[in-house]
Amino acid sequence: MRILLAEDEKELSRVLVTAMHSKGYSVDPAYNGLEAVEKASQGVYDLMIFDVMMPVMTGIEALKKIRAAGDQTYIIMLTAMSEIDDRVTGLDAGADDYMTKPFSLKELLARLRSLERRSENYTNDVLKFGDIVLDSSEQRLESFNSISLSAKETKLLNLFILNADKKIDSDVLIAHAWENADDLDQDTLWIYISYLRQKLQSVNAHVEIQGEKGGPYQLVNTNGGNSNDSEVSL
Amino acid sequence: MGIYGEYGSYLSRIKDDVMNKLSVLNQRELDNNQTKLYEHLIGRIKAEDSMVEKCSRKGYELSSRSALYECKDAIGIRVVCNFIDDVYRSIELLRAADWCEIVKEKDYITRSKPNGYRSYHLILKVATPYPSVDLNDAGCYFVEVQLRTIAMDSWASLEHEMKYKHNIRNSKQIVKELKRCADQLASCDVQMQTIRQLIHEND
Repeated sequence: MRILLAEDEKELSRVLVTAMHSKGYSVDPAYNGLEAVEKASQGVYDLMIFDVMMPVMTGIEALKKIRAAGDQTYIIMLTAMSEIDDRVTGLDAGADDYMTKPFSLKELLARLRSLERRSENYTNDVLKFGDIVLDSSEQRLESFNSISLSAKETKLLNLFILNADKKIDSDVLIAHAWENADDLDQDTLWIYISYLRQKLQSVNAHVEIQGEKGGPYQLVNTNGGNSNDSEVSL
Repeated sequence: MGIYGEYGSYLSRIKDDVMNKLSVLNQRELDNNQTKLYEHLIGRIKAEDSMVEKCSRKGYELSSRSALYECKDAIGIRVVCNFIDDVYRSIELLRAADWCEIVKEKDYITRSKPNGYRSYHLILKVATPYPSVDLNDAGCYFVEVQLRTIAMDSWASLEHEMKYKHNIRNSKQIVKELKRCADQLASCDVQMQTIRQLIHEND
């Protein structure tokens, strides 16, 4: 992970940079808000950590400028314990999380690990359930065979696997897979569920989407006995 | 005299007979108001030199018996269908037919080959009025039938072109793209089949 750290207390900055380096993160330090905005406009980061109280430009102002420029990077604000308003202002201005000073290094590193897990394991990578594998970035479903999926089928199956065995209402599935859910009816969802069902079948998967037209739908592992062999000698 | 020996002259007739029987099955479907079984049929007799090469590769002696009885693809027929369902419908009709017996099947549609190849292979044993190489099995000949959709057939043509063109640049990349293309075509085949089933849901 590449991290941009904006902290004006040189001593604290040095400690944080050293600690994060030791865990294998690459860190660029900035010492005021303006410098942070400049660095953010040039470099590519996975995470930004901004102190609120900084000279030249505060962390909140820097945050606003960065968001205004369209940058959606995950940003954690460092605020003073007493200043609830700072936290509220920060979150409302587009921050994703905050930590109150003084904070423990242990907690900061745990948050970095948590963030890494979310971005690597939970979003675009490879998901497994029963005997199927969903590769979301390749839009491919694999089992004893493989087949391509459309973008919407991938999103739907992704949600099904993350919520396997749960009965999921149509509205939830529609809201997840379609950006403009208003003009979407049950029939369209049903067609996509049908595609997914047939595709699961065509890769010989022992995983099924159950449910009648109209929902709710449920992904289950049927794991029924031995799989067929492709060669049948009579 | 080639590897097929005195039997060589019958092969083409047997091929035509079996293709004829397939077209009768198709006509019967049409007469029953079903959709057509297949889009087209292609038949071929394996060239003598290819058969000699195959027998040598497999370690068989170079004889008519090896070419017609050990190898079972001297006569080959390809059935190219519009939809996946049609492939399976054709197989069931062949299974029920009294003029042939299915002696071997390989389902590369349910389980494609690692390179992405999809097709359903059958070896049929057919009874013919012609003398055959095994005297205990009078009139018996084998026919290999490959059933696949149009999409699978186009893919196989492309893969064939690659296989016989050596020193292609970026061949590793091409192999990977061919596999991806096979998965996309399979996706379209399944999508068309699903739409077809939705159309006929209330039939």
